[in-house]
Amino acid sequence: MAAAGGSRADNGYGSQQQQQPRRRKGPGALATAYLVIYNVVMTAGWLVIAVGLVRAYLAKGSYHSLYYSIEKPLKFFQTGALLEILHCAFGIVPSSVVLTAFQVMSRVFLTWAVTHSVKEVQTEDCVLLFVVAWTITEIIRYSFYTFSLLNHLPYLIKWARYTLFIVLYPMGVSGELLTIYAALPFVRQSGLYSISLPNKYNFSFDYYTFLILVMISYIPIFPQLYFHMLHQRRKVLSHTEEHKKSE
Amino acid sequence: MLRRQKLGAPEHKRDPAAHGGTLSMSHNNTRSFFNFSQLVLSAGNLKSPPVLKHSKITYFEVEILDVQSKKQICIVDKVPPSSTLLDVKHKFHKACPQWYPSRVGLQLERNGPYLKDSVNIQSLAVSSIITLYFTDLGQQVGWTTFFLTEYTGPLLIYLLFYIRLSTIYDQVESTKNFRHPVVHLACFCHCLHYIRHLLETLFVHKFSGGHTPLKNMIKGCAFYWGFTSWIAYYINHPRYTPPSFGHRQVSLAALGFLMCEAGNHFINVALAHQNHSGSKACFPSPTYNPFTWLFLLVSCPNYTYEVGSWISFTVMTQTLPVGIFAFLMVIQMSLWAQKKHKLYLKKFYPEVRRKAAMIPIIF
Repeated sequence: MAAAGGSRADNGYGSQQQQQPRRRKGPGALATAYLVIYNVVMTAGWLVIAVGLVRAYLAKGSYHSLYYSIEKPLKFFQTGALLEILHCAFGIVPSSVVLTAFQVMSRVFLTWAVTHSVKEVQTEDCVLLFVVAWTITEIIRYSFYTFSLLNHLPYLIKWARYTLFIVLYPMGVSGELLTIYAALPFVRQSGLYSISLPNKYNFSFDYYTFLILVMISYIPIFPQLYFHMLHQRRKVLSHTEEHKKSE
Repeated sequence: MLRRQKLGAPEHKRDPAAHGGTLSMSHNNTRSFFNFSQLVLSAGNLKSPPVLKHSKITYFEVEILDVQSKKQICIVDKVPPSSTLLDVKHKFHKACPQWYPSRVGLQLERNGPYLKDSVNIQSLAVSSIITLYFTDLGQQVGWTTFFLTEYTGPLLIYLLFYIRLSTIYDQVESTKNFRHPVVHLACFCHCLHYIRHLLETLFVHKFSGGHTPLKNMIKGCAFYWGFTSWIAYYINHPRYTPPSFGHRQVSLAALGFLMCEAGNHFINVALAHQNHSGSKACFPSPTYNPFTWLFLLVSCPNYTYEVGSWISFTVMTQTLPVGIFAFLMVIQMSLWAQKKHKLYLKKFYPEVRRKAAMIPIIF
């Protein structure tokens, strides 16, 4: 679940392919065209969310309860990320299905099962923390993928993709953890999504305990992904520097 | 025999003639020019002394490099051509005691497959120096240990839940609530399943001294032990609800379970006999035993029966966690079956091509 943070591990296309030539062929012409359209739409979608946030802030003059102004596009475009799992499953993006599913599902879970389900949490400032982190990250990430697919990747986007996560990732994770923590008392009180015995399926589920386990899971997973991204940054940006020197 | 660094060319005998020195000849000793030239030729580098044909053995030199850094770890020299890779691993172990043979993975190419212990050194040789890449496979455990640990856990864990420990369930509720007969039947079936696995590990399956990483055993134990705890908790819970269709559902599912268990056992026995008979040239064929007739339809009937057992157990207990476990088992078994089926297709194409991998006709 912890993968939901400010950044996402590499998705297969992009700079990794340039520096490590794999035997695997790139996506076909049709798949590339589809991926370009998908990434352009997603970039535009997250830009809409960013503009919505700025407009709402300027109109209100306060950053409190900005979530309501971008609730619908956030749900739509965050759920749209589920297609990334299918891209990996069908092999049009050379990335791990399990890892991608884990990262996408964690964000979808936070959007629907926490923020949407626990209405009382939507007014909290911690929601804004992860929404801002996600928005900046996704604009950079999807534009990075778009330009990579078109083989015209500006250095600025590449640099932003592998640098801004240093701040955005901890910011996003903090927002998510605080949001889940804020939801706990309301979940316990209402017994939301909880099933108790006896029932004909002989199964019980305590959503409150589940949320606590989700929070605990961030402890081992977040550092792994963060250091993975730092390693990727070192690899990708140092590779670019070498290119510049040789030119 | 073993050196840490690669040495240069073998040293020649310290002979003055061999190193460009002059031969001091006595003037009194009169020799013909022919004899003198013969002496120079035999002493120098130009002509090696004749070697008897029967004593000539070509020894190989195995250079072992680290797969990641490409740095040389050591050289195993004087390796006779009849040696296997296991012999090389033993010699390597003498040089580096921390890496025992089963822990050593050797490859011809950095991203190539691991070479089998039975591989003959001569078959790998292109020249007298063979370069192999070393990977530390991590701490290893034997297959027997692996399976005994994996299957003993669920057997004991289930029984701990069955006796309804006060630390797991509310004691008042446990004593008050009547246990449905299906709870006892489920315990019997679960224990039977794992006892069969344990006995087959000890007396039926023969593991050819293979090993697997300890990491795999930990993963396997976490999966089986964890799921058993989850399953046993609900089946033995004081608030357990018996199956919707009552006695009929339980009886039919129990019958299906027992048939699948028997089938699985007979298939494993048939496979073990086929492997021991020495002739692996033909696909395992069904015997007079009706349980082995599934070989006519699928390549891996042992997986079919295993999946059947868990589906029957799910129906018998009507418990969602068992269903989830059965679903995961279906996925895992189908992956193994597919892999085995492809292997069989390569080996015995005409006999296997019409068969399914695990589920007759479908898959």
